[in-house]
Order: sequence, then structure tokens, then C-alpha cells
Amino acid sequence: METHFYLSLLPEALIVSMLSPEEFGSYYAVGSAKKSRGQAMFFEVDPSYRNPYFHTEEALKRCVPHEDGRPKASIYVSVYRVLEHIDPAALMDLHLTTQDGRTLALKASDNLPAGEDGLHLYQEIVPVSPLVVSRLDPVSFYDLIVKNPTSLVSVPAITFTELQLGELASDPEMGMLNNLPYSNPDHLRQCLSDVKTKYVSTKMVDRTHSPVIPYRTIKNGFYVGNQDKLRYYPMPSAEVLRAENYRWFRSASM
Amino acid sequence: MDYQTWLYVGIAGGVISIAVAIYLYFWVMRQDPGSERAQKVASWIRSGANTYLKRLYTALASLALILGIVIALIFSFNFENLATTGIVIEPGSGAIMAACFVVGALCSAIAGYMGMRVAVEANVRTATAAQKSLQQAFRLSFYAGSVLGLAMVGLAVIGMSLIFILTGEAHAVLGFSFGASTLALLAKAGGGIYTKTADIAADLVGKVELGIPEDDPRNPAVVADNVGDNVGDVAGMGADIFDSYVASAVAVMLLGASFAVGMQYKYTVIPLILCTLGTFASLLGIQFVKVKEGGKPGAALNRGTIITCLIFVAALLVLSLTEVIEPGIFWSATVGIITGVVIGFTSDYFTNDQYKPVQETARVSTSGSAITIITGFSYGLISIVPSIIGVVIATLLSYYVAVGNGLPGIYGIGVAAVGMLSISGMIVSADAYGPIVDNARGIAEMAGMGQEVIERADVLDSAGNTAKAITKGFSISAAALTVLALFAAYAEVVKANGIDLNISLRDPIVIAGVLLGAMTPPLFSALLMLSVTHNAFDMIEEIRRQFNEKPGILAGTEDPDYDRCVGLAAHGALSSLLLPAFLAVGFPLIVGFVLGPDALGGFLGGAIFTGVIFALLMANAGGLWDNAKKYIETGKFGGPGSEAHKAAVVGDTVGDPFKDTAGPSLNTLITVMSLVASLFAPIIAVFHLF
Repeated sequence: METHFYLSLLPEALIVSMLSPEEFGSYYAVGSAKKSRGQAMFFEVDPSYRNPYFHTEEALKRCVPHEDGRPKASIYVSVYRVLEHIDPAALMDLHLTTQDGRTLALKASDNLPAGEDGLHLYQEIVPVSPLVVSRLDPVSFYDLIVKNPTSLVSVPAITFTELQLGELASDPEMGMLNNLPYSNPDHLRQCLSDVKTKYVSTKMVDRTHSPVIPYRTIKNGFYVGNQDKLRYYPMPSAEVLRAENYRWFRSASM
Repeated sequence: MDYQTWLYVGIAGGVISIAVAIYLYFWVMRQDPGSERAQKVASWIRSGANTYLKRLYTALASLALILGIVIALIFSFNFENLATTGIVIEPGSGAIMAACFVVGALCSAIAGYMGMRVAVEANVRTATAAQKSLQQAFRLSFYAGSVLGLAMVGLAVIGMSLIFILTGEAHAVLGFSFGASTLALLAKAGGGIYTKTADIAADLVGKVELGIPEDDPRNPAVVADNVGDNVGDVAGMGADIFDSYVASAVAVMLLGASFAVGMQYKYTVIPLILCTLGTFASLLGIQFVKVKEGGKPGAALNRGTIITCLIFVAALLVLSLTEVIEPGIFWSATVGIITGVVIGFTSDYFTNDQYKPVQETARVSTSGSAITIITGFSYGLISIVPSIIGVVIATLLSYYVAVGNGLPGIYGIGVAAVGMLSISGMIVSADAYGPIVDNARGIAEMAGMGQEVIERADVLDSAGNTAKAITKGFSISAAALTVLALFAAYAEVVKANGIDLNISLRDPIVIAGVLLGAMTPPLFSALLMLSVTHNAFDMIEEIRRQFNEKPGILAGTEDPDYDRCVGLAAHGALSSLLLPAFLAVGFPLIVGFVLGPDALGGFLGGAIFTGVIFALLMANAGGLWDNAKKYIETGKFGGPGSEAHKAAVVGDTVGDPFKDTAGPSLNTLITVMSLVASLFAPIIAVFHLF
């Protein structure tokens, strides 16, 4: 059986598995007898990638089928500070699994999205998961947090996504949230007003925000990067998802 | 043409109606049943529906047999001249009444069975037709719904006309009506409990706990949910309107029978003439229900209803001009039918997301579920107003129009009820269309049909929901007028047995009756809703058990045990009916035999008023909460997953047994109680404690 490496983002972990990405997503979201159910996000990692930080060979030895022939679902190679030890170039597709186990694969793009004017809302996913508003576009935000921090706070590597703000991106005080399901919208408006009118370029909305986000709120895709490289995984539009991945789209729209 | 000939015309109309229903049934069966997967999914639903119907009809057959024997025994004793001749034993009378009762129950069952039979075949064919076009899918589903509508009115008209021809007594038709109503009550209440047990359990575990979308085949309750759409909305609603339809006609026949000698026959037959006209109007009206590709199915259904009304009124006018009926009857029936349609459409105002009540309830959901409940409940209370005012206007207009034309006013009210229900063939056709397209959507989803098919099914389903809301308002208002006429019929039957009813609110016995009557609909509602929560609790445990013991179900590698949930829903629904059935049939008899005819009159009055109010409140509040949730799901106030959506889901869950279990069963309850009172009035008039 083929062996796969997965970099799970929820929680941050490197896992060896004999399951394909779709099977692993389903197993991770709904198929565990341990009842550890829920949304999952994970990268498939190039199986030839090695970093001495991880005891990869030991994990591979343990990753053998069960006695009854079932494939081994997961061997945890490492948890905590995993992302910073993986070269972004070794990351293959990003898989987004819904709460009920439907998996969508996103491919990396060579082109980063053009910077947009207005305000932005970022959900950091790994290694920490605050919800942040900012005047900076995604690339500048990554630069500030990872490469050229202007404050004491920085991380060695990061995965984050930009969430939709709708009318609030240009008019935080009066704009309509419409179909955006954010809790405590008044606080969000206040934070957006602060970054719009004050000197600060970013402001934390929620320091312990759950990175389990409704996929339908993702604006354009996911970003993953370290000091050396930033990679971008664009999210297809709702129309494309509906037409080409209807079952995933439906589960993700719940 | 003399009035007896009209009875034969009625039978001919009924036969034509049934013949068209049978033709449409075979036409539906000739359509493409779709892919193997779609047929497999449909077979699960068909099998579940058959299992439930078999259990239901087996239970009802036993009940009908027992009640038939009781009726045969009781009505074998003639108490009319107790003082002079004593009790006279007439076994023939008892046998006739029992036979009428059984035939009524049988006709109601056949209509429901035919509707179910075609619905569980049409659902998969509609989904398959939706792969080609909206137009074809709509035509198929509506014609399938028409099988129930046309079979129902056909059987009712034939049954009533034949019994009257054979016995010559309106009171015998009352037995027919009682049989139909008893079965309708149990079919509606049982179907309502079944459908909401499955719906709530499937949603709470599937959607809320696990995030599985609607109609996902991994949910063990998904088949039971789809079966529930059929047993609740096809068999249940069909039996419900069948019962109101027959009861309204019987009430007027009984009033006609109390006319002066020489006039009796004509005025007893007139309600059957109105039913016959309505049958022909419905046969013609359904021809106009068509939709073009890209057109609006809801508009097509409404057009069919309005054209049917116009045909009916035109036919009435012809009879009036040719002096077959008096102008008073023409106007009373016209008032009734116009009021019925207007009330139906006002119900739509409170449950349609284009208007303020639904939008406002959705908006306040951003503040949590408590505010959602309060707002929806309040609009539900307000929604009573237009319907009650409509019934008041219809009552007063039909009364004074009749009086102005030399007829008893109460007879005019009864004619208005018959007029309202005369187009039941069309109304039921539109209503039965709803669960068929709802099922078609489920099958499209479970069979993995494409997005385009599901979107077409959504368009059809949306029109079905609107038709359902209109039918509920219509049937509740019709029941209100029907029971007013039945109330008068009860008074006439009591009077015929030598007692003038004296329903004075200064009489403590009457007050006791009024209060007991007013108490009954809320108690009945509570029993049904508690049955839903009790059964849903059991089914939730079963669904959780399946998911926990077989993780492969959610992963899509193992099939759920659908039959277990279907069996639980069926068993739970049927075992919950005993107490509500006793309340409907036994309680009025206890009040009558213990407190006497005056108290029973007060009892009926109390039950009618709270029954109508509760029925309207529950049907409209439930529909409003449902659509407020759907409105948010279109992307308003945060859309799915938002706090507003979570609050609206709570509202929708509370509203489910309101709108589909208790609310629609209440009109049948008050009809059954009124029929019990009228049927047993001659005996109660003789034997009562107070």
C-alpha cells in the first residue's frame, strides 16, 4: 500500500498514513472510533522530503497494515512546531475536509493575488490562530508577521487565509455583513475602524479564535510560507465549486 | 331535470373523476422511472411507506370493525317514542348505519392509498423528468397529485349520493361522514407524528450534530423522513380534506332534512349538486395548470385554483338562472368559495419570505432563539385575524343572503362551507404535488443526480411549500364553517328528538361544557406534540447508535439501517394515537351522556373556537419559522452557520410539530367531535344524567 505524508493544520502535526487524501480526510473528520470528529485541513507532503528534525524512518516502520489487512490510518510523526520544519516547496495539494468528511483538493498557484485596497480580515491557522484585521494585503501581512516584523511578535512560518469582509472592507461603520456569519459584529466593526483610522496596520479581533472556519467565508485562498518562500493555494469561486464539486460545496455551505 | 336525477349526475361525475384519476395513475406509471440508483432509493421510500400504511390500515380496520359493531348495536335500538312504545329494536337500522360508517372509512382509506401509491411512484419519475426539463417534471408531479384530488372527490360524491339514493336518509350519510372523519383523524395525526418524528430526528443528529446536508443518504433517518412526507402530506392531508368535504355536505344535508315536508328532498340534495359541480370544475381546472420552461410553478398552481373557482361560480350561476337553485344558494356558495381562496392566500402572507413577518422573524434571529420564538409566535397569533375575519364575513354574508332569499340563515352558512370545499379536487391536487416534488428532490440528492436537476427540484419544491401553506389556511377555514353548520345540524337533530337546545352562558352546565370543549384542542395538540418529542428522542438515540457503532456510515463505506428508523417512526406514530382518538370520539360522548345535550352544545362551541384559533396559530407560526430559517439560508443576516441561523433552526424545530402535526389535525378533531355529537344526539337526547 502506498504511504502518504500529511501535514495536518487542525491540529498541527505531521502524520504518516496509508490512506489516500480523500480517505484520510474522511477518516480524520468522521471515521475515527475515538470520536475525534470535525473539520480537517491538511497538506500532502512530498514523500521524499526528509528533515532530521522528524523521526520519519521510525514512523514509516510503524506504518504497516493492521492484522486484518486494513490500511494503517495514522502514525503521528510529530506535533507542535511542525510547519516551521517543513520546506514549503515540499508541500503538495492542500485538502479541505468538511465536518461530514467531504474533501476538496486545492493546488498551489505560481501567481500570488494582486493586492487590493481596503481592509482585510485574516484567520491565522498555524502556528497560532488569532483572528486579525489589517490594512495590509496578504503578501504584506505575511512579510510583516514572518520576514520583516516591526514589533516583537513574529513567527518562523505561517499558514493563514483571508476571510471575506464584504462591504465592511471599505465601510466598516455602515457596510452590511449580509451573508457573513461572524459573531460579535460590533467588535469586528470597531477593530476595522481602528486599523482604518489609527496608526496601527493590524489589530487582533480575537486572540483565541477557532481556526475551524466556514469555508464559504474564505475570500481567495490559503497562504503558507516561511522565511524563504510564500506559497498560495487559490480557492475556486462558489460558482465553480457548485458546478464541479457540488457535494463538497453543499457540505461546506451548511 | 329533477333533483333525484342530479344524484345520478353526481355519481356519473364521481365515476368520471375516478376514471381520470386511474388514467393519470397509469400515465404516471408509463413515465421513465430513471436510473437503477434512483429506483433503488425510490424503492426504500416506497417500501417504508407501504410498511407504515399496512400497519396503519390494519390498526384502523380493527378500530373500524369495533366501532362498526358498537354503532350497529346502539343504532339497533330506537328510542324515539320511549314513553309510548318503549325501546324498539330495529337491527336493520343499526346494520345500515354501521355499513355507512365502514364504507366512509373505506372510501377515505382508498383515496389516501391511491394518493400514496401514485406519490411513491411519481417521486422518482419526477426526479428523472427534471433531468430533461422543469416543464415535464412539473406536469408529471401535478398530474400525480391530481390522482389523489380526483379520486378523493369522486369517491366522496359517489359514496354520499349512493347512500342517499339507497337509504333516503341524510342521517345515514352522517354515518358515512363519521367513518371518513375517524379514519382521517387517525391518518392525519398518525402521519403528522410520523413525519415530524423522522424530520426532527434526522435534522438534529444529521444537520446539527454532524453537519450532514439534507437528504444525505448517510443519514439513517433520511428514508423515514421522505416516507414521512408521503404519509403526512399525501395520505394525511388527503384524508383530512376528504373528511371536511364530506362533513360539510352532510351538515347541509341534515339541515335540509329538517325543512318542511315537501322541501326536504330538494334541500338535502342541493349540497350534493354543489359537490358535483365542484368535481366537474376541478376536472376542467386541472387542465389549466401548466408551466412553460423557465416559468413559475407556483403561479401555475394558483392559476389552476382561480380558474377552477371561476368555472364553479359560472356553473352555479347557470343553475341559479335556470332556477335549479335559489339565488340565495348561489350567493352563499360564492361567498364561501371566494372567502376560502382569500383566506388561503392571506395564510401565504404570513409564511412567504417576500413579506414582513418572515423577514422580521429572520432579522430578530440575530438576537437569539428566544426572540425568534417570541416574534414567530406573535405573528402566528396575528395571522389568526384575517382568517377569523374572513370566516366572520362569510358567516354573516351567507347567513343574511340566505335569509334574504327566504332560506334559513344557518343553511346558507352550511352552503358557504360546501362552496368553499367544492373545489377540493383542485386544492388537494395542488397540495399532494408538494410532497411528490419534495421527495423528488430527496431522490435526486440521494441518487447523485446533477446540480441542475436539484436546482429544478428546488424550484418545484418551493411552489409546493406555498401550495401547502395555502391549503392549510383553506382547510382550517373550511373546517370552521363546516363545524358551524354541523353545530346547527346537531341542534336540529336534538330538536327532532324533542329537546330545544338552550345554550346560555348563565347556565353552569353549559359553562362546564364550554370550558371542557375549549380545553380539548390544546390538550389534543399537547398529546400529539409530546408524542413527536418522545418518538424523536428514541429515533435520535437510534441514529446516534448507528453512527457510533458503525463509523463507516459517515465515511460512506457502510450502509445505514434505514428500516430500523422507518420501523421506529411507524410504531411510535401508531402507538401514540390511542389517547387522542379517545379524546375525539369518547370525550364528547362522556360530556353528552353525563352533562346532557345543552352542555354538549357548549362543549362543541368551546372546542370550535379554541380549535380554529390553535389550528391557525400553529399552522402559520410553524410555516413562518420554517421560512425564516430558509430566508437566512439564502444569505441574509449571516447566512448558514451564523448565530441568526442557529436561532432560526431552533424556531424551525419548534414549529415543525406545530405546522405538520398538531395544527392540521385540529380541524379534523373538531369535525369528528361535531359528527360524534350529531350522530349520537338522538341517544344523548334520551339518556343523560343532567
